[in-house]
Amino acid sequence: MSSTGSLNQYIQYVERMYRTSQGHQLARLLSLRDEHVANRNLRSSDIATLVEGNCLAPLDEIIISHLLCVKALCMKDFMEAFEYQSACVACVVRLLQAQKESNWCLPLMYTVCLDLRLIAYRAEACAQTNGKILEKAAESLLACFRVCAADNRTTEADTKRLGMLTLVNQLLKVYFKINKLHLCKPLIRAIDSSTVKKEFPLAQQITYKYFVGRKAMFDSDYRTADEFLSFSFVRCHRRSIKNKRLILTYLVPVKMLLGFMPTKHLLQKYELMQFWDLVLAVKNGDLRGIDQVMEKYESFFISAGIYLIVEKLKIYAYRNLFRKVYVAENNHQIDIASFQAALQLMGHDDVDADETQCIVANLIYDGKIKGYISYQHKKVVVSKQNAFPSLSSLY
Amino acid sequence: MSSYFDFFCKNIENEDSQNSDRITGTCNSMCPEDEVKLREQERLIHVLEVWGSEKKLVKGYSRSAADSNMAVPHLLRPYPVLTYTVQYLLMDITRRVDVPASVVYDYVNDRLRAVRQDATIQRLPPEQCACLLEPMIRFYVYYGYKLSNLPLKDYDPVLNKKYLLECMKWYLSCSDSLATMRGNIDHLTGFLSSIDLNGKDKKNKIVNDRVLIENLYILCNLDDLHPLFRYVKLSKDIKRHPKLQLAYEIAIANLHGNYVRVCRLADKLCPLSYCALFTYLPTLQRRALAVMSHAYSNKRLTVPADALAHWLRYREPHDARAACEHYGLKVQGADVRFEKTDFKSDVTLNIPNPQDIREKFDLSIIDIFTYTTPK
Repeated sequence: MSSTGSLNQYIQYVERMYRTSQGHQLARLLSLRDEHVANRNLRSSDIATLVEGNCLAPLDEIIISHLLCVKALCMKDFMEAFEYQSACVACVVRLLQAQKESNWCLPLMYTVCLDLRLIAYRAEACAQTNGKILEKAAESLLACFRVCAADNRTTEADTKRLGMLTLVNQLLKVYFKINKLHLCKPLIRAIDSSTVKKEFPLAQQITYKYFVGRKAMFDSDYRTADEFLSFSFVRCHRRSIKNKRLILTYLVPVKMLLGFMPTKHLLQKYELMQFWDLVLAVKNGDLRGIDQVMEKYESFFISAGIYLIVEKLKIYAYRNLFRKVYVAENNHQIDIASFQAALQLMGHDDVDADETQCIVANLIYDGKIKGYISYQHKKVVVSKQNAFPSLSSLY
Repeated sequence: MSSYFDFFCKNIENEDSQNSDRITGTCNSMCPEDEVKLREQERLIHVLEVWGSEKKLVKGYSRSAADSNMAVPHLLRPYPVLTYTVQYLLMDITRRVDVPASVVYDYVNDRLRAVRQDATIQRLPPEQCACLLEPMIRFYVYYGYKLSNLPLKDYDPVLNKKYLLECMKWYLSCSDSLATMRGNIDHLTGFLSSIDLNGKDKKNKIVNDRVLIENLYILCNLDDLHPLFRYVKLSKDIKRHPKLQLAYEIAIANLHGNYVRVCRLADKLCPLSYCALFTYLPTLQRRALAVMSHAYSNKRLTVPADALAHWLRYREPHDARAACEHYGLKVQGADVRFEKTDFKSDVTLNIPNPQDIREKFDLSIIDIFTYTTPK
């Protein structure tokens, strides 16, 4: 449609798309990111009376709230725009409910929901309500989700359940933004138990696994996190550099915890060189270096939520440091005092013999060192073969 | 997990629209008239409510049911009465020595739940909720340690943890909303407590110490990373507080399994933090012994029980030996022989008798409920 059409032409066009069940075209016409938004004819002062009665029953409400939202956006009133878009989503929910046994309207639902979330971000940024607006947006999205999830009698090709994953992704984005991760669990369960799991579009699956992977990381379930984030990273389109970088922000530390260090080339390619300093410090057993990296990139690590994972990587630094001592001493009996001296040299000034023993004990318990401690002789006796198994072999 | 908490959050959400129809209690005693009559009639007066010839009843907790309307003003106590009630429960009831501590705990816990219920129904503003919850958290932490070795029929640590977490999360969410509402709560409480200093009866008054609660939130949940996620995101001025930094250091040492460091740092803790950590200590000791049974595993070598007692803060070498035997390790005279196959991970937790905090820190129970963190 040309952007110069009149309001009546626009209404007729929307109606035609609706009657001929062209979901994507309809979605485009009710999108806030389409060129018709710039059309001044659609911003009449009295939209409601002009549209009302001029249009098919469920559509009129949708068009009215859509155009009012456009108007509010032009005035830069994001709060009002948010209210109208919420109303628009509510109308679409009713429309979906009324349409039994068909799902051609799903693209329209995706579009209005995405627009709602984007406006909610803007409104939140302006009003600073501590997440209240985003929570309201999540409620609207949940209403859509319920309609989709409840549609379980329709055949697989026509079921609205296919729309679930897109909505779940929108919701996950909101919940991560307002830091309410506990709300994700029922959504994840709904997708996991869904019968149409394999049918969801790949792009949506990638987004979904990215968030579920992050959630697993947050819950300290690193193997699951690795599985999901790896899926996302491998399947993500090669040109989506920004998304791949985002995935790597979490995948790199998770992989490091599992004993796999990234290459410099990879980190350079995705501009994640913050991790390179960390990799070097961990490899060298440089405890002071880790502290320096943590201080230097504190805000990056905290905002990404990986600060504590970096803290956990110190255990690997201990292992690497002790391995160096072992190689230097070239003996399978090593004094605790040597380890202690190494720790002190690397910045743990206040460490004593007892604590050194404790650190070694934990490494032996985790299988990172093969051997035993002799309390009487103040020595660590390590295995003559493979005393320090490679980290990646442990998982 | 915490139904009050969710309810409370919803209340905040609806605050703007429903400010006008908030219920305010009109009951000006600790127990509503109706309940006094009923309980006197049915002979339901608790032994702790009898003070000689006098009777002092406190409203008991009752579950909200579909057929009962709890939102009745004359059954609800307004904020000042609730404050007085909390104070009475913590300062007066806990001093009773004629009944076992577990009975005192059960009674006070029940009455505190009723206080929380009243606060919820009346939708008290966050600053008032915080002031009511802070002493409750102290109560759950203190009794959690004091009663830790009692059998399950007398004291249930899981339930205690549930109530403790409920109060803590509620409290922290109050502090957060206060912080966003008007800068920092510490300014407010700091201001109020400086007024209190001049008042003549500053003693025996409940207080609001946010740093202490943030600190307890970390130390009461050492098995959980989420309090640490919260800590790293706190604003710099609170984060830098030495008390919180100490708690964070302990939690990180625990994350690394560094039991020697955890125990060494524990010597610097304030009384309630000490309670929190020492409630966790048996779990820490068990893990440490499991680690050591691998690390010192040898058929000939031993480790002296003295060293174990020193590392893991057993009060006597004898306690360390008893714990080792409990977990299936062999004790030879004053030494323990570790062997990884000996360690029994499926036996119950070995909980030594808790030390009396009042003696250790030379504090009265009132001090424990009212001391504050130096700014």
